[in-house]
Amino acid sequence: MLVIIGFLAVAIVFAFIEVPSLVKRKLRKELWAFYILLTAGILLNIAEGLHWKLPNPLSIIVAVYKPISNIIFRLLK
Amino acid sequence: MLENGKISLRQFTILVTLFTIGDSILVLPSVATFEAKEDAWISAIIGMGVGWLVVCLLVVVSKLNPDLTFVESNKKILGSTLGTAVSLLFIAYFLLCASANVREIGDFMTTQSMPETPIQAIYVVFLCIVVMGVRLGLEAFARAGEVFFPGVILFFVTFIILLLPQAHMENIQPVLAEGIKPVLRGSISTSTFSSGQLVVFLMIMPYVNQPKKILKGFFTGTLMGGVALIILIIITILVLGADATSSNMYPSYSLAKKIDIGRFLERIEAILSLMWFVTIFFKIILFFYGLVLGLSQVLKLKEYKSLTLPAAMILMVLSTLIAPNITYYNNVIARYWPFYDYTLNVLFPLLLLGVYGLRQKLFSQSSDLE
Repeated sequence: MLVIIGFLAVAIVFAFIEVPSLVKRKLRKELWAFYILLTAGILLNIAEGLHWKLPNPLSIIVAVYKPISNIIFRLLK
Repeated sequence: MLENGKISLRQFTILVTLFTIGDSILVLPSVATFEAKEDAWISAIIGMGVGWLVVCLLVVVSKLNPDLTFVESNKKILGSTLGTAVSLLFIAYFLLCASANVREIGDFMTTQSMPETPIQAIYVVFLCIVVMGVRLGLEAFARAGEVFFPGVILFFVTFIILLLPQAHMENIQPVLAEGIKPVLRGSISTSTFSSGQLVVFLMIMPYVNQPKKILKGFFTGTLMGGVALIILIIITILVLGADATSSNMYPSYSLAKKIDIGRFLERIEAILSLMWFVTIFFKIILFFYGLVLGLSQVLKLKEYKSLTLPAAMILMVLSTLIAPNITYYNNVIARYWPFYDYTLNVLFPLLLLGVYGLRQKLFSQSSDLE
């Protein structure tokens, strides 16, 4: 619970820093990009803070490069 | 224009040097000696040679559209859809590289100097500086590089000189005892660590004020960084020996602990970690800058500063996420990450060149027909 409140507070602070100037300059697309990224960031942080199991992006790299890595390291053995 | 600043060739060279030294100064000796043992320094020389080829390739790619950043030039060459897809791959790459480097700082601080501080606290402090630097713009952090550079060089030279009395020549012998294969295995990681991640500089090349001399600046930068790394690896093996170097996670840090001049000048490893913070800061800031600038160019935004804070939050999660434990992470870095680097730094630029050449040819043929 504390994690959720804490990160929401961070999100509000970030919004206070960015949003007024974006609204004043009428940059609507930038505002949307900011909100979407911020939501993604906050959700990820909360999930991480609550110890949910998130997928590891490095496992994609491992899966993609495993064959070539095995071949090359075997060649150089 | 998203970025109005211009940097000089000198600032560009300094950024390349700091980027090349980057995190390698602390972890590369261990990674390289793990495979190549006493001959890790030969691997480092091979690595620098490969790095030069990468630099040549990148400069040729940047010459295709000298006024555009990599993301824009992707779009121009590959078309809107495919170009955006490739750009997104690169943005993901910048994000992963930045978070891996942030992770390295966190691991280093929590294992070596601040064991009771939670790792997230270190991330937050470091990311605050990075976000601040990126928000101030390219010119500001390029100037910061210029300010810090003499200090880094001074510390590095002092560090090497103070260690010279403890060097033992027999540690580096025999040379090539097990043939060339272990050396080549070691050079897989040295070539990507020192200069295999330079593709991010394609994002700032249009902002250099002397585009004609960029190749020279790029070469000088990688040469200085590469030579520093070679010297560092040689001195690490000479002082600690190959076995101790490869079993140590941060060999140059324990090297610094060994400095002892007349029981007066000792325990100066904090200076080494300070130097490392400076170099890795520039590595992270360049990746982060490439990330937010690239993302805002893909989305056709008018400014990139508003993306910095949310992007830093995502980066923080990723830094924790990419390494459930240090063994897994080290294994990925040594065995799989180099190929990821090669794909994005060599394969994709080559592909871009190929497509560009093909288009030129097709267009010239069609104009002949007319």
